[in-house]
Amino acid sequence: MVKSALSLQPVFAVPLGAARLDSCELLNRELEALFLAREDDEHRNSRPSHIPQRETFESRFNLFRWPETCVQELRKFVLDTVVATVLQATRLLPADLARLALHNHTWFHITRHAGSFVSHNHPMASWSAVYCVRAGESVPEEPASGLLRLFDPRGGAGAYRDPANASLHPVFAPAPLEFRLSEGQIIVFPSYLFHEVTPFYGHDRRVTVATNCWFT
Amino acid sequence: MSTLAPQVVPIFATPFGVVRLPQAQTLNSSLAELFEARATQEHRPASGTPRGRLFLSRDDLLTWREEPVRQAVREVVSGVTSVVASISELSGEELAALAVEARAWFTIVRPDGCVPATSYPNTSWLAVYCVTAPEPSEQRIDSSVLRLYEARLETSFQDPAHPRSRVPYRRGHCTWRPVPGEMAVFPAALMHEIALVRAEGALILLTAAVRFAGGSGSWMPPW
Repeated sequence: MVKSALSLQPVFAVPLGAARLDSCELLNRELEALFLAREDDEHRNSRPSHIPQRETFESRFNLFRWPETCVQELRKFVLDTVVATVLQATRLLPADLARLALHNHTWFHITRHAGSFVSHNHPMASWSAVYCVRAGESVPEEPASGLLRLFDPRGGAGAYRDPANASLHPVFAPAPLEFRLSEGQIIVFPSYLFHEVTPFYGHDRRVTVATNCWFT
Repeated sequence: MSTLAPQVVPIFATPFGVVRLPQAQTLNSSLAELFEARATQEHRPASGTPRGRLFLSRDDLLTWREEPVRQAVREVVSGVTSVVASISELSGEELAALAVEARAWFTIVRPDGCVPATSYPNTSWLAVYCVTAPEPSEQRIDSSVLRLYEARLETSFQDPAHPRSRVPYRRGHCTWRPVPGEMAVFPAALMHEIALVRAEGALILLTAAVRFAGGSGSWMPPW
């Protein structure tokens, strides 16, 4: 029997930032209207890294260079949230970060019925983020519809299971992390993490903005 | 400048076997009919969530008495054993001395359905045998494929030469198109999915988790 106090802590932890844009309804409607108006070949990503699906539109990666006020307002919120995540997750001080250049690739997705996005990560970036413009219809009979799923990077850690490791506290359990994003919500995570969007079975649309950031 | 040709070999390689089961193939119509008839609540796992486009049965096919199922399961297990034998340093006698433990279930995926990403604990091998499959589509090339996930995190750095690496060094997911009568065999701990079915018709699979037991000093946790 262990007599001394036990210290138990999570190690090899993955940083995850989460925030919400207050009073985002008007902004999101403006963004959605703009994206729908530009859901065309001119604005489509012409060099997709994955097999394109007709149910999911992916824009070019230059979204944050668009001059529209709504885009620039979103740009500030998203990049500020990424920077805040970096400051909390690293030993960098604000002055250190201010000397760095923040680069980004940013695009929007419009996902319609039975659209999804296959598991992937983002090479040559340090931080990725997903912002929800429109959550899309929830489908009670399809509880996994339209989830952002982050895969646990401890590949194979769940290969052996017995009663003493089958019910670990969530912070220790090797399992994917799933988010049903709501409008105005942003999730920031390391770009090395594999993630996917599960098939969306709503009959409207799910609209998100994603960014990859790197610093020099 | 001349250099000697380097010796390059794959390390940390993942085995992936494809086995054709001609005897089982003759049973496919019987299997499909039986599985379609039993895609009911009674044959769903207690914890299974009903989904209109996906049916996953209980993993009790080894207890079914119908001869087509018994024969198909026998051939699937035999196929897994042949894959293991092909990569093992165990002799045929040593491998035959081990007890084969298996669980098997059937899956029906209908249009716009998929099998979400998963892996299986406490087992060595997963065998995915295709009973029926929708016609492949040139427009939807990843429709209903088995997709085995890339798991190497060093992929977060790449230079311009990486994307053009040859198999087996190429980074990214691997896919296999289910063909009736064929079976894929791979480590059960490997994360995988069945991609969305983007064609008319159902994809029907018989899947088995297989492990070997009984060697000296070995202990197996319950399934």
